[in-house]
Amino acid sequence: MLAAAHTEGRRLAIGEDLTTDGLDRILEHEAGDLTCTVEAGVRLSTLQHALADHGQRLSLDPPGDPTVGALLARNLSGPLRHRFGAPRDLVLGVTLVLADGTIASAGGKVVKNVAGYDLARLVCGSQGRLALIARVSLRLHPLPKARQTLAIETDDAGTVVRSLLGSQLQPSALDVLHPGGILVLFEGSPRAVAAQVAAAQGLVGGVEVDFGAWDVSRRRQAAALERIRFDPGLLEKTLHELRNAVVRPAAGVAYSENDMPSNRLLQGEIEKLLVERIRSELDPNGVLAA
Amino acid sequence: MLELSRVLGAEHVITEPEQLRVYECDGLTGHRAIPELVALPASTEEVQAVVRACHRDRIPFVARGAGTGLSGGATPLAGGVVISLARMNRILEIDLGSQRIVVEPGVANLEVTRAVANDGYFYAPDPSSQQVCTIGGNVAENSGGAHCLKNGFTVHHVTGVTLVLPDGEVVELGGKSLDPEGPDLLGLIVGSEGTLGIVTSITLRLVRSPEVVQTLLAGFETTDAAGAAVSAIVAAGVLPAALEMMDRLTIEAAELAVAPGYPAGAGAVLLVELDGVSDQVEEDAAEVERICAECGAFEIRVATNDLARALLWKGRKSAFAAMGRVATDYYVQDGVVPRTRLPAVLRRIEELSATHGLRVGNVFHAGDGNLHPLVLYDAERGETERARDLAEAILDACLDAGGSLTGEHGVGMDKACSMPRMFSERDLETFGRVRRAFDRDGLCNPGKVIPTPRLCGEVPGPYRVHPLERMGVAERL
Repeated sequence: MLAAAHTEGRRLAIGEDLTTDGLDRILEHEAGDLTCTVEAGVRLSTLQHALADHGQRLSLDPPGDPTVGALLARNLSGPLRHRFGAPRDLVLGVTLVLADGTIASAGGKVVKNVAGYDLARLVCGSQGRLALIARVSLRLHPLPKARQTLAIETDDAGTVVRSLLGSQLQPSALDVLHPGGILVLFEGSPRAVAAQVAAAQGLVGGVEVDFGAWDVSRRRQAAALERIRFDPGLLEKTLHELRNAVVRPAAGVAYSENDMPSNRLLQGEIEKLLVERIRSELDPNGVLAA
Repeated sequence: MLELSRVLGAEHVITEPEQLRVYECDGLTGHRAIPELVALPASTEEVQAVVRACHRDRIPFVARGAGTGLSGGATPLAGGVVISLARMNRILEIDLGSQRIVVEPGVANLEVTRAVANDGYFYAPDPSSQQVCTIGGNVAENSGGAHCLKNGFTVHHVTGVTLVLPDGEVVELGGKSLDPEGPDLLGLIVGSEGTLGIVTSITLRLVRSPEVVQTLLAGFETTDAAGAAVSAIVAAGVLPAALEMMDRLTIEAAELAVAPGYPAGAGAVLLVELDGVSDQVEEDAAEVERICAECGAFEIRVATNDLARALLWKGRKSAFAAMGRVATDYYVQDGVVPRTRLPAVLRRIEELSATHGLRVGNVFHAGDGNLHPLVLYDAERGETERARDLAEAILDACLDAGGSLTGEHGVGMDKACSMPRMFSERDLETFGRVRRAFDRDGLCNPGKVIPTPRLCGEVPGPYRVHPLERMGVAERL
């Protein structure tokens, strides 16, 4: 389909004119290696369900139920981003279909690998403009034996966050539900989770709440109009300018209900040029151009 | 030349043959070439000036840090220019509020941790040459180390770079915050082995020092038993900071060299380091001990303080250098296999070792399946060819198991010609397209990473002790 469009000079939008719904197989799950290889049309919920049977998960929890391909192409993450990173941090390899029909793979399925250019990371955030993502290998984590959420009400989120991030506690997620609230997730063995919760309470107070509290965070993220970036050290200043938002303070990312032109995610001119050069090498006829 | 002298100062442009010889190779000493000129810029603008001059006159160039790379990524091209970043060794900003540090490429890896250790932070990637290897080189190679199992590689810790493109344009990628808009150019640049540009400033994540660190050393009779313990530890959901293995031959060599006093008669030792919050580490350590005992460990030692820990690591850290005690020459490979295939691949290496009539020592990052088989041989007895065949056969065994050519040393010159064994022609052609987007004229570190017919007619030379190793400054892990 891509090759035909390439020859005929047509345009295709991945996700609209061309979907990966038919590419919905989990090809391999090596539980002992904590890795899996899936086709890009697999829904995240389907994958998580299959992995959970083996006590494992993909540590990405964005709002909604995207396909794995969309997860990468749109660089989606949720609260677990705090500890486990974004798709680019967990992807091990990809198979791409270029706009001229060329099938190309990069990376591999092992957790450590530096052979060749890292096209698996390159396509993260590419919005379907560089190539179609057909197959993805991912790094997995064991499901935690226990977890507990701590909710802290505060009008001084900056101080609470600084105190948590400066401590030796290791939360899996830390969201500021601005204004007024902070959610912290601890995962691990039951004893270690209890100890971390107690230590965190000693540091910043807060009460234990149901895990469902994170749905509030994800819903707000999904409803946000704008994603902004800030230097993590400038959290207080940033909060001051935000009305309603979910803020991931360690990453310096906020999903905001109000527009903040000064912090909008802008690519520099030369970066745009560079992306355009890569795009035109991979897709000279502009099949995937927006 | 005159132009560069004017921009950089005459003392920062080297053209004397004697001085140029210093730059003829990196840690891959079998490949050598004398560059035409070495430039030592001190700022982004000076790097830009050198690159622009090279671009204008169509002269190939290669960036160089400390020259400790093991795959020839910094090997110069005869007649080309070497851009040494040695003078760009300043720490530009420490921003503990953001948990970030901004450094120039010539800063040594360990200097980053030193700069923030008193504040309770560290920089996580720890390649074994970390005393001398530079952050710029780490970015080029996406360096790992013994402790990247839990904390990730260089790519997980670089949040921004200033990059001088091969035509001399300067671009800022990322910053102190994560998840920039658009394709992950930063992820592409890290690990591109200096072929897509030269980074002149790097923003890195700083990690809070863990509450507790605990190290265990377990002695096993066979690598099979130790390998089974590795699988069981991972299956139990324990994620150690480091999980390293040594086999009988490397243990013997280490005993001769530094006498770490590892369990007598061990056919394999496993080194497991756990870090994090104290309750979790305690529980995990008990679990690891139980698993090791179940898998047949006949002796387990535990270290909870720095001194005891250093003792347990001593043999492991000296393993490569110690090989000199049992052989005159060796090849080191850097293959990766899926963790679960470790025992099978180790048995295969043993068979290959027997059929080739050469000894192979195994010392490696077991947790992430990154093998460093050391093929021992004696060049004077004409064993070079056989050693090379054996090393290649081992790499094939890794690839057959679904692994990779290189886990952390990079492709460089060393493995460029082996790339077709892992990637199809179309894969390589796609890499070529990406490269052209950055470097249309093929001037930026040409001949590396992607195989070319000219390059692949040549045969790599044998391993030689790197001058830094001889001086004891760097070691190979």
